[in-house]
Amino acid sequence: MDVVFSIATLSAGLRLALPVALAALGALICERSGVLNLGIEGLMLSGALAGYLAAYHTGSPVIGLLAGLAVGAMCGALLAGLMVGLGTNQIVTGLAFTLFALSATTYIYSLSFSIGQNPPRIERLSMPPLVLLTILVFVLVAAVLRTTFAGLLVTSVGESPVTVAALGYGVARTRVLATIAGSSLAGLGGAVLVCGPLGLFIQNVTAGRGWVALALVVFAGWRPLPLAIGAFFFGLSDAVQLRLQGTQTAIPYEVFLALPYAVTLIALVLRGRNTRTPAALGVRFDPRTV
Amino acid sequence: MSSPTEAPGAPEASGTPETADPPVQPAEPGTSAFAIDKALERMLRRARARSIAAMILVPVFAVVAALLIGAVLIAREGADPLAVYGEVLRGVFVANRGLRNTAVGATPLVLMGLGLAIAYRARLFTIGAEGQFVIGAVAATAWATAPTIRDLPGSIVIPGAVLFAVLAGAAWSSITTLLNVRYRTSIVISSLLLTYIALSIMQWAVRVGIRDPDSFIPASRQIGVGSLPTLPVLNVHAGFAAVILLGPVLWLMMARTRLGYRVDVLGHNPSALGANETRAVGVMFVVLALAGGLAGLAGYIEVAGVTQRVNSSFSLGFGFTAIIVALLGRLHPIGVVVAGLGLAGLRVGFAVAERQYGLPSSLIGLIIALIIIFVLIGDVIAERLGLAERS
Repeated sequence: MDVVFSIATLSAGLRLALPVALAALGALICERSGVLNLGIEGLMLSGALAGYLAAYHTGSPVIGLLAGLAVGAMCGALLAGLMVGLGTNQIVTGLAFTLFALSATTYIYSLSFSIGQNPPRIERLSMPPLVLLTILVFVLVAAVLRTTFAGLLVTSVGESPVTVAALGYGVARTRVLATIAGSSLAGLGGAVLVCGPLGLFIQNVTAGRGWVALALVVFAGWRPLPLAIGAFFFGLSDAVQLRLQGTQTAIPYEVFLALPYAVTLIALVLRGRNTRTPAALGVRFDPRTV
Repeated sequence: MSSPTEAPGAPEASGTPETADPPVQPAEPGTSAFAIDKALERMLRRARARSIAAMILVPVFAVVAALLIGAVLIAREGADPLAVYGEVLRGVFVANRGLRNTAVGATPLVLMGLGLAIAYRARLFTIGAEGQFVIGAVAATAWATAPTIRDLPGSIVIPGAVLFAVLAGAAWSSITTLLNVRYRTSIVISSLLLTYIALSIMQWAVRVGIRDPDSFIPASRQIGVGSLPTLPVLNVHAGFAAVILLGPVLWLMMARTRLGYRVDVLGHNPSALGANETRAVGVMFVVLALAGGLAGLAGYIEVAGVTQRVNSSFSLGFGFTAIIVALLGRLHPIGVVVAGLGLAGLRVGFAVAERQYGLPSSLIGLIIALIIIFVLIGDVIAERLGLAERS
């Protein structure tokens, strides 16, 4: 078990945790407002490609991060328009967007680079500024959700949109803004993955991390601090799994592959009926029915 | 989403809400209330006809719109869209093995789509078909390649493999039901988490559990006698027979049996089930076990008809594409068969055309994703125009 506690594994865990943590925070914002955003995986992927292309063409990974944020927000506006504006089924819309993003990113990437060839590397950002950035974003979001009126409004809309509407605040507008904000963080997460230590884009580079992010939100009970801890736990588990892959050990590495999901499932069960799930999560709000 | 077919003897539960709003009392003939009754009935019938038309037209428009965008992208690549689409049709209907490949590609999509369609009609939004698919494949392969079993004749091995695949898929899906009933966990989230756990189990199985000792890379043994025979005339593996058979059977089940009726009631008004002394939990278990069993069966058929063995790249996301098939098929068993064949045909035809014209292979994925997004938008527009029931 000493492999778990080595410095190399811990730092690898942190590296693997950062993109997921940011994307999960984005999912958390959406869900606190009552929008179940299953497009997180697709948003991360879009942000990753945007970040890569921007960093590749400008030579600056910082611009890459900004591009990821911007494309995440743009895709978030599209998702919000569908799910909140038109009122499409949130589960189906999110899934469809993820499938769309998977094909679209591959397609756009193949217009500039040929798939299968080694993609050109971009200049990479080192870990310390990325860690700092992530901590700052977490503190900011936690503070906004906890102490400001906007944060209270987002949470209220997720709990009881009828009440918010009755008080005269815009349910749809709040949800649209929360979805855009959350989606932009998911895009940033994708850009951090690519412009960080990885330094390249490949087809389906996120490889399911967006789904992990969605699971983490549930695991954390829709609270930012447990979310950060959960993301680090996931990163650590992922790092251990990667470490063990090449070696012969008593515990198969697949156990660590499955561990984050199994733990999340157990956390769901333990939390059970006394749940913190936003009451109006995934429920479309139609002012005509009030 | 409404169903175009209704159980007999229960028309009172099937009205579209906008017309069924005022409670309709049966009236005496000759009174003015009787005339109103008649008028309401006519309105209901017309509303239902409109809603069926919208159900069929929305996907048709979505496909056309997505293909138009596809044409723009093809033109951007410097190819003639009409020639490319002609090649797509030729690739399916004329080219060597085009129809056969379509049938083979449609089989897992339709089988899983059927289960998902029924689950979604009960408003049980499972997205775990992918996990049930690989669990079914691993279970069936484990049985068919086990030491003494693999020397038995196919007439014993194949039914056993089908049984194991269906049971394994159903059991895996039932974990979702159990967690939802007992602990109220979200079906969407738990079915997704279970998919990742299933993929980890598959990784372990092909590396250690059912590994072929002679293989350098992690992979199971060849399924051998468990392999499916080829159907005469159609020249497709026998798993396609399950599609031909199960589509109509499940249609009849949904349209004509008590279970099918209860599935729709569970989707529309779960408390009505309790009032009729049917336990919603029982229907939930049956529906999700059915979806899981079909996904498990699809997993076995994919091994026994196509890949012949399970390796770490066995799952290609069929379970997620099946969600699109279920929705595109309007949650109707026959619609699912049509949608599955249609999507598989598009893939086969595009594979030929992309090779011919040097187009990016991700084009077809893009078009399929656009189709489903347009269906979503089209449904909302149809609903706003009062053509369809609210989903």
